[in-house]
Amino acid sequence: MRLSPTKRVLVNLVALVYIVVLVFPVVLMFLNAIRTEAEIIQFPVALPHVVTTENFVEIFRESSFMDNLWNSFSVSALTVCLTIIVAAPAGYAMSRFRFRGKRLFSAWLLATQAFPGIIMVLGVFMLFRTYGLLNTRLGLVIMHTSFSVPFSVWLLKGYFDGIPAALEEAAMIDGCTHLAALVRIILPLSVPGLLAVATFSFLLSWNEFFFSLVINRAERLLTLPVFLSRFLGVGGMVRWGPLSAAALLATIPALVLFMLGQRYLVSGLTGGAIK
Amino acid sequence: MQADRAAPRQRLEQERRALPFLLPALGVLCLVSLYPLIQGVSRVFYAYRALSQQNVFVGLENFRLLFQDPTFARAFLNSLVWVATSVGGMFFLSYILATMLNSRFLRFRRIFRTLTLIPWALPGVVVSLTWRYIFLVNGPLNTVLAALGVANPPSWITDPQLALWTCIAANTWMGIPFVTIMLLAGLQSIDRQIVEAAAMDGASYLQAQWHVIMPSIKQVVLIVLTLQTIWTFNSFDIVFVLTKGGPGSASITLPLYAYQNAFMYYQAGYGAAIGVIILLVLVFAVVLYIREVLQ
Repeated sequence: MRLSPTKRVLVNLVALVYIVVLVFPVVLMFLNAIRTEAEIIQFPVALPHVVTTENFVEIFRESSFMDNLWNSFSVSALTVCLTIIVAAPAGYAMSRFRFRGKRLFSAWLLATQAFPGIIMVLGVFMLFRTYGLLNTRLGLVIMHTSFSVPFSVWLLKGYFDGIPAALEEAAMIDGCTHLAALVRIILPLSVPGLLAVATFSFLLSWNEFFFSLVINRAERLLTLPVFLSRFLGVGGMVRWGPLSAAALLATIPALVLFMLGQRYLVSGLTGGAIK
Repeated sequence: MQADRAAPRQRLEQERRALPFLLPALGVLCLVSLYPLIQGVSRVFYAYRALSQQNVFVGLENFRLLFQDPTFARAFLNSLVWVATSVGGMFFLSYILATMLNSRFLRFRRIFRTLTLIPWALPGVVVSLTWRYIFLVNGPLNTVLAALGVANPPSWITDPQLALWTCIAANTWMGIPFVTIMLLAGLQSIDRQIVEAAAMDGASYLQAQWHVIMPSIKQVVLIVLTLQTIWTFNSFDIVFVLTKGGPGSASITLPLYAYQNAFMYYQAGYGAAIGVIILLVLVFAVVLYIREVLQ
């Protein structure tokens, strides 16, 4: 298909418009982090006249931001570890063994996507209250892991399928167990798949809002999304300067990780849907 | 299955080996997924009585109340509009974007693709706050509109006619990256020669889209549509941060109304009943999604 020069220009132009619309709002918001409150109110669409650091100073000095940052980070990091520990063996079993209920298990993993948050949170609330997991980081880690495991099992199964079974069989003839074969042979060959899972589960946990909002109420245990939502308060003025500074700080780790891991994540995501 | 019957002992052996590998996942899923689901659903049969400060068994009373509740009716209708327009909008806009990104004539394709994905990596709350800022009465959008000569730019968040549509716009924006990347992967898997052959046979651009490209990426399309329907129907962050369902109940959706009942009005049973309605509406999408993926 030959495209005329006009169409060529059109393709580039339309794509450019899309990107501007997709990126501009975020840039605008984050610019507020280095603008003064007066400027933000007076000139909503403008570059900073004076660059200020007061918003960041305020966030660090007058709020629990550091605690919340640490909460978000520790919960997300633990979620990644737990997800891999739980999902890798399951993905291996799905890839290498035949067992009754395999289709049902697959369907169950996929169906978890659709469980309404409200029902899950009511059930979990009572469970966590019984076991003293409300208002703990561990509770959130367990919760987030349960969200990331289904997709991770699915993704790793797909990845393991691509590794020839002959490799482990050779090792097992030498007396290696399945577990040892998984740890010593399969996992080292699956680093891209594991990076996809790590990126996915970290972002899921880092960005998760609803369950964090309901399960952890204690001020010092809040994760960043809940901390950010508190700026809206009950009526009154929203202070966009400090809020934007905090939002920017909360976004940078997610964005950096995403940039590093997106290659693996995208191929993991699309791999399942395109054969 | 034939082989299974021929060698039941071998299958049993495989199952014995598979079980330890599956146990951690089964444990997590039973404990934090299956059990809460059952517990949560069982809440619909109970109601909290403030007078006695107890949860009492009320049978299907919560559902009866639900069907007489005008706010529930509002939330239900809003949710249908919210899903249909968001998912429809996401698909339409993403399809165009994916086609551009797949075009050989696009320059800086790699940079474009990376930038497309950015909204997807952002925390939902940050996205919602961003749009709340953009849509402020004296905010960036209205400033631009005023500069373009619009006399009375609307109050996007507090106008009951507009609040839901404001949320839908933000939600559509947030969904575009995922849908685009999935569709793009589908488009990339199509052999260009097939499309060129169709063009040579005299198919118009739209005919080629509909008769050649769509059938080739049917599976991806179905997966993306069902997944987005599920996610959007359950979505909470955007409406919660942008409008809290307001003004009044103008932009309330089912998940938000369920949350309000369970955690603000202490009617967990009523909230759970709304959750069950969500689940029932989604059954069709889930079944379709599972069928497509397991195919």
